[in-house]
Amino acid sequence: MKITEMLRRFFLIDLLEGMWVTFRHQNPADLVTEQYPLKRPDISDRFRGQPRLLKDENGKLLCTACGACALACPEKLIKVGSLRDPETKKKVLTDFDFDLGRCMFCGICEEACTSHALSLSSGYELALYTREGMELDKDQLEKGVQGKVYEK
Amino acid sequence: MIQNILQYLHSNVTPGEDGNLFWVVVYVLLVFAGISVGVIFMNWFERKIMAHMQVRLGPMRVGPHGLLQPIADALKLIIKEDLMPANADKIVFWFAPVCVVMTAFCGFIVVPFGPTHAITDMNIGVLFMLGVSSLGVLGVIMAGWASNSHYPLMGSLRSGAQMVSYEIAMSMTVVSAVMMTSMATGTGTLSMIGIVQAQLQQRTWFAFSFFPVGLTALGVFSIAMVAETNRAPFDLPEAESELVAGFLTEYSGFRWSLFFLAEYASMIAVSSIATTLWLGGWLRPFPNLLGGKNWDIAFSLVPGLTFLAIAALCLFYFTRMPRIRAMRAESTGLAAFGGVLGVIGLIMMLPTVRVRIQDIYWFTLKTGFFMYLYIWYRTTFPRYRFDQLMKIGWKVLLPISIGVVVMTALIGVRHELLALVWK
Amino acid sequence: MSEKQFYDSPLEEVEPGHTFLDSNELVLNMGPQHPSTHGVLRVILKLDGEKVNGIECVIGYLHRGIEKVAEHRTWAQFAPFVDRLDYTAAVSNSLGYCLAVEKLLSVEVPKRAQYLRVILTELCRLASHQVWLGTHVLDIGAVTPLFYTFRDREDILNVFEKYCGARLTTHAFRIGGCRYDAYAGFYEEVLHICDDLGPKIDEYRDLITGNRIWMQRTKNVGCISAEDCIAYGITGPVLRGSGVDWDLRKKQPYSSYEDFDFEVPLGTAGDTFDRYVVRVEEMRQSIRIIRQATEGLMEGPIIAKVPKVIRPPVGEIYSSIEAPKGELGFFLVSDGGPMPYRLRVRPPSFINLQALEKMATGSLVADVVAIIGTLDIVLGEVDR
Repeated sequence: MKITEMLRRFFLIDLLEGMWVTFRHQNPADLVTEQYPLKRPDISDRFRGQPRLLKDENGKLLCTACGACALACPEKLIKVGSLRDPETKKKVLTDFDFDLGRCMFCGICEEACTSHALSLSSGYELALYTREGMELDKDQLEKGVQGKVYEK
Repeated sequence: MIQNILQYLHSNVTPGEDGNLFWVVVYVLLVFAGISVGVIFMNWFERKIMAHMQVRLGPMRVGPHGLLQPIADALKLIIKEDLMPANADKIVFWFAPVCVVMTAFCGFIVVPFGPTHAITDMNIGVLFMLGVSSLGVLGVIMAGWASNSHYPLMGSLRSGAQMVSYEIAMSMTVVSAVMMTSMATGTGTLSMIGIVQAQLQQRTWFAFSFFPVGLTALGVFSIAMVAETNRAPFDLPEAESELVAGFLTEYSGFRWSLFFLAEYASMIAVSSIATTLWLGGWLRPFPNLLGGKNWDIAFSLVPGLTFLAIAALCLFYFTRMPRIRAMRAESTGLAAFGGVLGVIGLIMMLPTVRVRIQDIYWFTLKTGFFMYLYIWYRTTFPRYRFDQLMKIGWKVLLPISIGVVVMTALIGVRHELLALVWK
Repeated sequence: MSEKQFYDSPLEEVEPGHTFLDSNELVLNMGPQHPSTHGVLRVILKLDGEKVNGIECVIGYLHRGIEKVAEHRTWAQFAPFVDRLDYTAAVSNSLGYCLAVEKLLSVEVPKRAQYLRVILTELCRLASHQVWLGTHVLDIGAVTPLFYTFRDREDILNVFEKYCGARLTTHAFRIGGCRYDAYAGFYEEVLHICDDLGPKIDEYRDLITGNRIWMQRTKNVGCISAEDCIAYGITGPVLRGSGVDWDLRKKQPYSSYEDFDFEVPLGTAGDTFDRYVVRVEEMRQSIRIIRQATEGLMEGPIIAKVPKVIRPPVGEIYSSIEAPKGELGFFLVSDGGPMPYRLRVRPPSFINLQALEKMATGSLVADVVAIIGTLDIVLGEVDR
């Protein structure tokens, strides 16, 4: 054993083994860089991204203005404004303010929602140049924030 | 007058020896341009090869597959603000990068790209190259001194000490190679062209002669040359994650790019020494074994074929580029680049051209192999600590190189020794 | 030692006629912004030439007041904040917190949830050790293993994304169990990771472990004895590298770890090389645990019955787990209300960082970066 150990040290075998490892990684099939924006990443279903207010098949917002999400949020960045409809005696949603700048995308609001109306969808291109655009109102939450689509 | 200029084309000595001033100037400009192109190519090549070994792509955006990246880098460095530390020694601060660049480029005066393709062929060629690269150490120490801050000073002293220690091992192995030139005829030569011609005469590259002496000498030289040029795994003075910053700290913008230019140029210079001394310089593979006119023609077609192969690769990548409007400029750029390389390849197949080009081609290929080794070492190995580095230089490489010199000497006088023993 | 005392080096008392080269002590600041300090850590070194005479760490640059924040959030609302402590191993932190609150509530977590938790926590241990490996080797000079480990880590982060929706700040577990069940394709992907990672760890061995340069840089560097480790309260691979057999997964099993068969690697010399070998071996053992847990996963509920607003009984509890960095503990004091009265985190990196002074004094400057790397600190945990 000692002789092989000495020969290994003398002929720098351990260094050559390391060099072989780096050499064979040059195989073009191994290169893993995803060239965004030419190739966009696959987003999973459960991804916690941009918040959206969902609608049912008729186009009516599912939100019942219960305010559970506002209570549940750790950062208290949701403000739900509502009116009580005199005929049906139910709450109707008037304002829904969501401060995206302070959101940590934890998903507690999505879990707390009683009517599956608020969902963190798969949008991730949310960067803006100014802080003012980060406070989303009801319409933006319905439509979703459109990120700038880059070509190259 | 024109006669004088054209007379060189039929001579078989270098223009320096011929005394032909016009051709000397032409060769100087060609070599300078060639080395600059080589450095720029090395920048791109290093980034791409390092990236591929690290399973990523490297520069892809600036020009097709990042080919214009070095130009973008050079432009950025030129337009940067030129800072000088407050109490720095202005003249020395200005002169240090100049010194390093000058010594790096001066070594190329004697590098032979072919039997007559050198600027001049001094009969002490190898000694000249080693001496000039030693002067580069002066530039490094000046850079540290002029920065007026003790971290760069200590870094430059360490750098200088490292370069000097490994130069001794380098020079010993060079002595052994020079001794090998005298094996056949009894007289050796220090001239670079003479060393290659001795290899041609002895029908073997010195790396493979008297196995394993030649190979050990080449091995020691290739380790020492990595340490001489401050590259991984011996790049502690330049490392980013170290505390004592290297001698380059206070240099920014164009001055820094001069140091960087000098580093790559000196890498090419020591690789040229290694190629000339041990790998047969400009000789094509098997000039003696596969001699004769047909083999000559076959081997002289190889440069043209290489360029055509690279052009084909470019066009293949062109077909795989995404066809969207935003990538139009890059796609056409890549196709044009492939086209230009193809045209150059075809030109290099013409008989008058290929006879003169083939020596340069083989020389560049062998030097390129050493450049690839440099990049390969950088991606693979961790860094040595400074005391371990000095220990290797003095306690490991120097005894081995002295041993190689002694072995070569014994082999040189083997006939006399054997005659003495069997008297 | 007050700051003034520390900075009083002979540097200021140089006599006239001498230059700074004559004095032999130098105070060097490895500032908060430095490529090798793994975050915003300020290290002040007192050097004698190349040798380190004294070392002092200044922390607090990443202090965010997480423990104070906890007093103003409900128990369930605080769970996402815990991910931000050791941000390279968020799932582990989540497990530690949930276990502590469940202990306070005396809630029994269903078996299926426990096995799911083990699978994800061990995947997270693999991910954390891969970050450590890449950055540690990068500090010592080899630039490629970083990319290899981060490429391997991508598979694990993709599993996290598909499971709970985020790669880094996962908020994976809830108090009482898990919120999400395994998605379609979970088992295949996890077993695929286990199969792939074994040969890749062998690659790291070829590239790094046997390399003579690596061995020269890490053997006998940053030695700490077992007695010192226990005296400082150091836990995790640092402790096991010095030879002490203490792993909370074996000694105080939690979340069904007693069902699994795995070994705890130990070092002998307590130097950087041994800690490196211990962590790489831990990666292999994690793969074993994941395989056993995936194959043994049974059917059942994934969350226990926990009230909507959690009001634990009045009391206090300390519960700890074996996080990738060491023993991560939570000390919770409840006053019966919906929010914690006091929440104290026992951060392993903060306590391991004490050893820096012991390890680095007397070594060379170039070894300090290696020692900081081998302690595997994350400033999010040190500063909270």
